[in-house]
Amino acid sequence: MFELTLKQITSLIVLFAFALAGVSCKSAQSEVFFGKTRPPDRNVLHYYTGDEPESLDPQVSSGQPEGRIYMALFEGLVEYDPKDMHPIPAIAERWDINDDFSEFVFHLRKNARWSNGDPINANDFVYTFRRGLSPKLASRNAGFGYYLRYGEAYNQGAVFVRDASNHFLLEKDFASEGNASQQLSQKLSTPAQSGNKPTAQGSTPERDTPFHQFIHSPARLTLPGDEKTRNQLLAKDAKLKVAVAGKEFVDVKAEDIGVEAVDDYTLRLSLRQSAPFFLGLLANQFFRLVPRTAVNTHGEQWTTPGHIVTCGPFKLKSWKPYNELDVERDPMYWDSANVHLDEIDFYPLVDLPTAMNLYKVGELDAVSNHTVPNPWVDVVRQKKDYMIAPEAASIYIHINTTKPPMNDVRVRKAFNMAIDKDNWIKWRKIVKPLDGIMPEGIFSGYPYPNGDRFDAEKARQLLAQAGYPVTKKGDGSYECPTFPVDQVEYTFPTASTNKTMAEFMQAQWKQNLGITISLRSMEFKTFIAYRANLEYKGMAFGAFSADYLDPYTFSSIFYTPTGDNGTGWWDQKYVDMLDEANTLPAPRRFELLARAEQLMIDAQPIIPIETGAVNWTKKPYVKGLYPNAGSLFAWKYVYIERDPSKWDYSTPTLTN
Amino acid sequence: MEDERPIIHTDPEFAVAEADVRVIEGSGTLIGTSLWRDAWRRLLKNKLAVFGLIVVITITVVSLIGPLIIKAATGYTYDFIPNNVVLIKSMPPLTGPDGSFSWAHPMGTDNSGRDLLARVLLGGRISLMVGIISTMVSLIIGISYGAVAGYLGGRIDNLMMRLVDVLYSLPYIILVIVLLAMFRSKTPVGQLVLLFIALGSVSWLTMARIVRGQVLSLKNQEFVLAARATGVSTTRIIFRHLVPNTLGPVIVYATLTIPSVMLTEAFLSFLGFGVQPPLASWGSLAADGIQSIAIFPWQLIFPGVTMALTLFSLNFLGDGLRDALDPQMRKA
Amino acid sequence: MLRFTIRRLLVTIPMILVVITLTWGLIRLAPGNFYSGEKKIPKAVEKNIREKYGLNKPWYVQYGRTMGHIVRLDFGDSLKYQGQSVNTIIARSLPVSATVGILAYLLALIVGITVGSIAALKQNSRWDYTSMALAMLGISIPNFVLGPLLVLLFSLALYWLPPSRWSGFPSRSVVLPVLTLSAIYMAYIARLTRAGMLEVLRSDYIRTARAKGLRERDVVIRHALRGGIMPVVSFTGPALAFLLTGTVVVERIFALPGLGNYFIQASLNRDEPLILGIVAFIAMTLLIMNLLVDIAYAFLDPRIRY
Repeated sequence: MFELTLKQITSLIVLFAFALAGVSCKSAQSEVFFGKTRPPDRNVLHYYTGDEPESLDPQVSSGQPEGRIYMALFEGLVEYDPKDMHPIPAIAERWDINDDFSEFVFHLRKNARWSNGDPINANDFVYTFRRGLSPKLASRNAGFGYYLRYGEAYNQGAVFVRDASNHFLLEKDFASEGNASQQLSQKLSTPAQSGNKPTAQGSTPERDTPFHQFIHSPARLTLPGDEKTRNQLLAKDAKLKVAVAGKEFVDVKAEDIGVEAVDDYTLRLSLRQSAPFFLGLLANQFFRLVPRTAVNTHGEQWTTPGHIVTCGPFKLKSWKPYNELDVERDPMYWDSANVHLDEIDFYPLVDLPTAMNLYKVGELDAVSNHTVPNPWVDVVRQKKDYMIAPEAASIYIHINTTKPPMNDVRVRKAFNMAIDKDNWIKWRKIVKPLDGIMPEGIFSGYPYPNGDRFDAEKARQLLAQAGYPVTKKGDGSYECPTFPVDQVEYTFPTASTNKTMAEFMQAQWKQNLGITISLRSMEFKTFIAYRANLEYKGMAFGAFSADYLDPYTFSSIFYTPTGDNGTGWWDQKYVDMLDEANTLPAPRRFELLARAEQLMIDAQPIIPIETGAVNWTKKPYVKGLYPNAGSLFAWKYVYIERDPSKWDYSTPTLTN
Repeated sequence: MEDERPIIHTDPEFAVAEADVRVIEGSGTLIGTSLWRDAWRRLLKNKLAVFGLIVVITITVVSLIGPLIIKAATGYTYDFIPNNVVLIKSMPPLTGPDGSFSWAHPMGTDNSGRDLLARVLLGGRISLMVGIISTMVSLIIGISYGAVAGYLGGRIDNLMMRLVDVLYSLPYIILVIVLLAMFRSKTPVGQLVLLFIALGSVSWLTMARIVRGQVLSLKNQEFVLAARATGVSTTRIIFRHLVPNTLGPVIVYATLTIPSVMLTEAFLSFLGFGVQPPLASWGSLAADGIQSIAIFPWQLIFPGVTMALTLFSLNFLGDGLRDALDPQMRKA
Repeated sequence: MLRFTIRRLLVTIPMILVVITLTWGLIRLAPGNFYSGEKKIPKAVEKNIREKYGLNKPWYVQYGRTMGHIVRLDFGDSLKYQGQSVNTIIARSLPVSATVGILAYLLALIVGITVGSIAALKQNSRWDYTSMALAMLGISIPNFVLGPLLVLLFSLALYWLPPSRWSGFPSRSVVLPVLTLSAIYMAYIARLTRAGMLEVLRSDYIRTARAKGLRERDVVIRHALRGGIMPVVSFTGPALAFLLTGTVVVERIFALPGLGNYFIQASLNRDEPLILGIVAFIAMTLLIMNLLVDIAYAFLDPRIRY
């Protein structure tokens, strides 16, 4: 009896374990969707957007996870279209743009309200933009505001130079070749180029105001506010030093920024350059309205549940830190009648498998981009609730063009051509190829230039021409003994996908060029600084996601040698092409941007690898949530469909 | 109750109780049997304990030899990642990359394509090694400390046991976690050594108490007096005469400590403080496995079941040993 | 009794300080510090950080300052979670851990004592063997294996319960963490109860009670149980240690925002104030619970006198 019991128990346990394994394997494969698909009882969406939000202040955090929350709580002049993210009217009903895209006039709707009932007018925008650029706030997204005239100067704490007779030194008098700020159109904006339907009907040009005259006068010279930096600058430029002597330095104030409330419902933005893409940029969280009274009364605490005031389709219902953030429909919102959901519950979670498990069980109705962990993708993409769509993101390899041997373009081209990228794309399955810097399939009408094809033989020839001949060994493999491998390595931020990619590239170079490049991984924040300062030897991982849906966001990576560039490559011709392109109307603009991209491809400061793809799931009953290229969603269009015949049985199409 | 039967010392080293003396009828001779042989007989009668013993021995042997066999047969080791990117994925047990039946991976693979069976066996090696060595560390410390305290007695004993009491009430595991979190060794081997020390230092307290108790009751026995009378040094008395007589309870406690230490090590590795990659223990394998449990449950099930089975067997063995040695043992 | 309690309390306070000191020492002795990772920080920035946190003073000054704050129960602000005081974090996370821990232990007591008693009463029966074998299983399956297996079955396959997250006390999210945590105690308590009951059932006073003609039920519940659960009571001490480690694992697996999870994160982040705060809190809880256990022991067994 003793043994019987024991044996019974042991075999039961083993059976149980295998049954468990078998059951779960099978059930995972046979379901159409990934997990349970029963709509929630209430009209509430449960969403995973990332970790605990840093802050509920839309101008403080630059992250996308927070951005999605801000899009529920706050609105701006324009909003992202749910399908293709082009700018659609939000608080601005319509707008006028001048002929060289340097001035935008917005006509605001008169029924927009804050969640506490206060009306919204143009002064709120003036306050918001000025506050966003204030050096005290030190917003990480302040760079978006630099397109506004004097925005950068104010944010950097710069100064004007004023002489005794109240005249300010002008920039154009001291401009060196590449520094001239554009000679912008002096003409006031007219309704000639209106954005989006409905178009304005033949109204007169906007009033001219003293501020407008000031903003449209030739740009004033600005110098660094910090004395030491300024003196260093003056020491280098004798002409400047002489001109500045004996004059007064006047701080650039918030009131100097090119933002003006022409009247209560008309807002005029004056830029420092032509920027046709600026309209799309205005949907970014940085430009969403911040409640002046709440901020002034409560300071940093203005975002706490008792104090916060919002202007978006939803308002804050409750916030349990590290547990749940709930927002509910705001009846004061100007378009509240068209908001479908009653509530959105955001669950902050630390790791991805937790999120996916909650999704599978139905506790989450949708998850945000890149939530499906890499090892899961193969299984999950078989399901109908997995979104298959391109992403406005490019993955590539930076090359440090400032140090040998990579300063030789032939060497760079050799390394590019030695990689069989098609093989990589095939293994990754969900991504598309990348030829330059522009992600493929995102910008319709953009004539994508071609990059070099995989050609191992040509790569070896190029290397030989550069002085590093490649010889074939007896066993068929290659070697390149003269190549200085100690000068070149591949650095990447620590993450398993990056490691797989690194190992693949390393294998390709070894196989096709006979060179073994060593790999080095680094913690993310350290890596970013390392790369930005061009401290890396040879090559480094690169990934860039669009800030707004216009090719310029990618072109501008190489506009300056610093910042996101990370390669040290800079060409005046390229910069000129970009500046000119921004003054041109649509189709010609794209052509010129594409030609600039070709210039960059020929110089090969990067090795393009892949165009990103979105990677998330949503339940079939969640409608109005589209896998757009930037993964940013206007929540007012999202709804829960209770009729199974109307559910999404595959990725919803993004065309209208 | 007056004791009628004679006590016969068969060997001055071992005190023997009456029950172990078997009288062989007819021969007139009294043949003694030792404590150990009788305990062994009792143990063998306990089916569960035998089962435990067999399983433990099997798993130990398989953990030691298995990886070598696997490597010879298929070339898989615990850290072998295939070159072909197509194979870098988690495959179910007994399945090939295209879904067809295959003997290649009886337990499947993990997310990097590494053979799970090889990793589970490595986990076995590491877990068992940590369990045994840490227990031995705690044995050495505990026995020495307890024996010295018990024999010397008086004030010294008092002081030493007070210290044990104080240490006993410290929340050890917290300090161990902080220790391992702060002092992370650069090499996997270094990390293991750190683990041995940390884990060993957790369980010596009870051992010390047990041994002290035993020594206290044994130190006035005749053979001790005899040894002292013949001028044997204190150290020799403690370690050569007293300690061996405490081995009964010590063995039982040790056998029960091993699974407990293994569990602690697994728990630490699960949290990330224990064994570091590329080495793996059952705990770290479980931690990895949980990440993909929704779609690749075998990554957790196999290491988990193996560990449970091993601990199960060790516990039965420990129970059986305690029952077998019971008549000799006084409650600690 | 009272003297005993007071004496123990007086000993407890220095004990807690010793624990905190040891922890503090470990943190300080360790190489590296909390504000750097792999990156090299410019000297000027590093100097500012060190000044801000008082790291440039000699170690005994820092120790004194820290301890001075701690005895006033001021643990300062967390270094990782900006702007949140340690006390806030503990206050927020304690209810979660406490709920799960208490429920788990209660469940273990109820089930364990019942099963163990029945096993003792029906010694050597089928019930006895089966329940003891299952108990052995409970001790042998680590909680980080049991938990995910339960999640696999009841959550991911059957969709009955959530796989993680804390949704407050009376909610389905409580079930699996409590079950996982209580399994090992249930097993130990069942075994201990059985052993204790077996011992007691053989003793004289039980024979007396039976001879008096009392119903079996009364014999068991009113007389035997009291003595039989003595081993369970004395097990509470080590049980609390288990509870701590078990809670950490369970909170990890089920992503519960409890003390254990915060403790692990703080250790990994080298968040000194938070580590010290949680350690102090746990040490205090453990020592007081041990004291309560000893008092309970005295109440239950009239033979024990302090």
